[in-house]
Amino acid sequence: MSAILEQRQSALSELSPRLAEMKRRIRAGEHHRFRITDSVDILAECELEGLDWTQRSARLTRRLCEAQTVVIEPDERIAFTRTVKRIPALYRPEQFGELLAGRTFHELGPINNICADWGMVLGQGLLARRAAAQTARTRLAGDREAEIFLDAAVETIDAVLELAGRYAAVARAAGRDDLAEALQRAPAYPAASFHQALQALRLCHAVLWLSGHYHCGLGRLDQYLWPYLEADLAEGRLVLAEAQELLEEFFISLNKDSDLYPGIQQGDNGQSLMLGGVRRDGRNGVNPLTAMALEAGRKVALIDPKINLRLTRDTDLALLANGVQLTRIGLGFPQWCNDEAVIPGLVAAGYDLEDARDYTVAACWEFIVPGKGMEVVNIGAVSMPAAADRAIRAGLQAGEGFDRILQRAGADLAEQVRALADTSRKLLLPPAPWYSVLMDGCLERGRDLSHGLKYNNFGIHGAGSANAADALAAVRALVYNQRRIEPARLIQALDADFQGEEALRSELREDAPKVGNNDDGADELLVYLFDRFADACVAAGDNGRGGRYRPGTGSAMYYVWLARGHEGMSEPTVGATADGRRKGVFFSSSLAPSPDVQVRGPLSVLQSFGKLDYRRICNGGPLTMELADSLFRGTEAVDKVALFIRAFARSGCQQMQLNTLNVDTLRDAQQHPERHRNLVVRVWGWSGYFCELDETYQNQIIGRHIYGD
Amino acid sequence: MSASVTGVVFDIRELTIHDGPGLRTTVFLKGCPLRCAWCHNPEGWSYEPQVLRGPNGDRVAGHSYRADELASILNRQAPLLADGGVSFSGGEPLRQAMFLEAVLERLEGLHVVLGTTGFAPAEDFLRVVRRCDLVLFDLKLMDPEAHRRWTGVDNRLILDNLERLADSGLAYRIRTPLVPGVTDTDANLRAIARHVRELPGRPRVELLPYNQAAGGKYAACGLEWRPDYDETVPCRTDLTPFQELQVDARVL
Repeated sequence: MSAILEQRQSALSELSPRLAEMKRRIRAGEHHRFRITDSVDILAECELEGLDWTQRSARLTRRLCEAQTVVIEPDERIAFTRTVKRIPALYRPEQFGELLAGRTFHELGPINNICADWGMVLGQGLLARRAAAQTARTRLAGDREAEIFLDAAVETIDAVLELAGRYAAVARAAGRDDLAEALQRAPAYPAASFHQALQALRLCHAVLWLSGHYHCGLGRLDQYLWPYLEADLAEGRLVLAEAQELLEEFFISLNKDSDLYPGIQQGDNGQSLMLGGVRRDGRNGVNPLTAMALEAGRKVALIDPKINLRLTRDTDLALLANGVQLTRIGLGFPQWCNDEAVIPGLVAAGYDLEDARDYTVAACWEFIVPGKGMEVVNIGAVSMPAAADRAIRAGLQAGEGFDRILQRAGADLAEQVRALADTSRKLLLPPAPWYSVLMDGCLERGRDLSHGLKYNNFGIHGAGSANAADALAAVRALVYNQRRIEPARLIQALDADFQGEEALRSELREDAPKVGNNDDGADELLVYLFDRFADACVAAGDNGRGGRYRPGTGSAMYYVWLARGHEGMSEPTVGATADGRRKGVFFSSSLAPSPDVQVRGPLSVLQSFGKLDYRRICNGGPLTMELADSLFRGTEAVDKVALFIRAFARSGCQQMQLNTLNVDTLRDAQQHPERHRNLVVRVWGWSGYFCELDETYQNQIIGRHIYGD
Repeated sequence: MSASVTGVVFDIRELTIHDGPGLRTTVFLKGCPLRCAWCHNPEGWSYEPQVLRGPNGDRVAGHSYRADELASILNRQAPLLADGGVSFSGGEPLRQAMFLEAVLERLEGLHVVLGTTGFAPAEDFLRVVRRCDLVLFDLKLMDPEAHRRWTGVDNRLILDNLERLADSGLAYRIRTPLVPGVTDTDANLRAIARHVRELPGRPRVELLPYNQAAGGKYAACGLEWRPDYDETVPCRTDLTPFQELQVDARVL
């Protein structure tokens, strides 16, 4: 354990005064004064030149890069501050109907929730990408679509280089030669240092957002950045402490523009990165940057980037303890991903082994392969509680046996999947020339990424699973096995939202098996529901883009929406349920015992959810647990929680969010938000400032199961 | 020992931090002959199940288990407890020595820790500790008079059992709760250090800083929390008395 002690020593240090000041400015929004109030309009020129969608997308990137004013704060070593606030429309509102021609956009429209091949971009440089585009254009001469796409891609590359050039000129004029050199070299050429790589990444990533994309992932940061740092260290160009500070500055910079990003709530912006895990060849990929990034996340303590850590049961305890140090401060990072469950699941879903080993997460938790996936990981959700509820009601009314209720629930899930699949086949993915520059093979093939990449699957959330299993378990135990509750009475009580049936509700809640206690009476029903969900996804077949449907265990915001209804949502809502849940009460978020259910503790929870067959459920969705911050009072706690993380890997579970909370603090923050402006909590696949969340989300967090108090 | 012997448990907690090495689940057995003034588990005093009346409603503390039933719950967790094991605490677990022995007999491949006050008949004490991998033995106050005043019992039986434990060759550690002005005094810590130095095996001493939430559950038990010491004073966590005598001691 001495290694752990050493790690802890280094973790004691705090942000340098320079970065502390930079963080303060950003949280205070002082950089907002640089933002331009004028909005850019590209419609007139697009119409005048008769540009098509692809060309307009490239023009958008170009004009917004041009409109960016250069901001270099004297203390910045990684530059770029977004000054253009609004992303202009590519078409007039009335033209979208014609463009879509009966098809639909996913969410807001622009490509989102995927991850670029950052290693390739930094390693090649944009001029090499430009040359690749031009080579392809010569080869594909006469292929009009390829020509348009490749010209558009080159237009975006030139726009980014122009922007980098202006930044370099201003840096030079300001006597900032270090920054000027970095910006002149990268992103045009392969990054020649760790600093250049971070600067190029900041700029290229920010231009994705500027082009209207969102939930833009950062991928396996420690894997693709380590070669630059390793070379710097070997050549004596950089010392570790300075590299650490640069990384922390990069993390801070990712928080500059987040109020301009679209999302369900602020913080839901998908700037996720992955650490650790195996390399493509299967060898251990953990390197010094893995721990440095965990430490940077802890010291920066802001909502971005969202940090994920891959592990196996053999992962070094010192690394796990390092991750736990981050868990301890309560941001809800890192999210833990079990390679032993994820990689076989991806392989079973048709991913090549090397690609599966290279997985990262999309915005929240959905497993994707950087540079190779044009996947839509969240086309919708199945409501497991609705499936269970309809099956229970229909089965009881028809006087059927419990097996028949289970069959009905399975059929209901299949129907829900079929409906989502039918809708999703109408999805129209718009062109994304700049994103295509950053992906594998688009330039080489002369095809925009919206035409598809190596992996083109769609993902479906399986929401409310614990409540659904508990409802089925209660009916089996109390209506069928023990014959304590008459079917008609149960249905009436559900219809009446348990008005006047408090005793019945109490029986349903207290006297039946519940998911989370390692009790097969409930857990096997959870397993059943996910098996049927997986079957339904297989049966749904091709998604129209050469991909399939991936079932997942996440819920995103559906734990709220499916309980209360939401405007424009096609998923079914449900009233009171047979687990004793009243109408309107939220379901549990992703994988967790049902709210208010008494569970023995976190190990039993691991064992309950470890029973799922994750080889069939590869879209992701974390087991979500809250630890009381008081658990960390003693000196031993970090090591104990590290062992708990190892137990998570042993349990066979796939993914876990471990959040550290203090309920009193959260309540005080509701009363006195001004005292808790920087209080960060994990919401679902993302973390946000508690005081900026809607009250419904705040209350759901306060009501979660908290272990260790 | 019979599988059907029953015992009363007031909590089973997973991921406990201070109940032994590694990842552990701790079983809290109900009933205790001591009344330590700083006790933070007053629901562990009585052997009988009782209703706790908390701000969020009533809850029964104390559930009766058959030995085989409890053993089976714990055995099912064994795959996750390979880096640790199970611990038995209380209350005073030896208050239910027969039941505890029956449970221990039925555990499969689990590392077992016993946390005890040491206040139990010698026969009970020995037959249980022989089935444990590590004993965390409380040594609170060396002065018999002070021990009677603050815990309600004399420490003679405790010190005798400690000697038996030391002679048995089993792995054990000393646990001392640091209560401000009561157990954390220089005189008491020095006396403990002197005593421990003479014990075979020279056990490690683990000091547990005072739990500020000690009185949290009294109202729910229908009791008044009125400590006879000033709990607002931070407890001393000075290792000098132990270091001077080369006794391995650490603060948890």
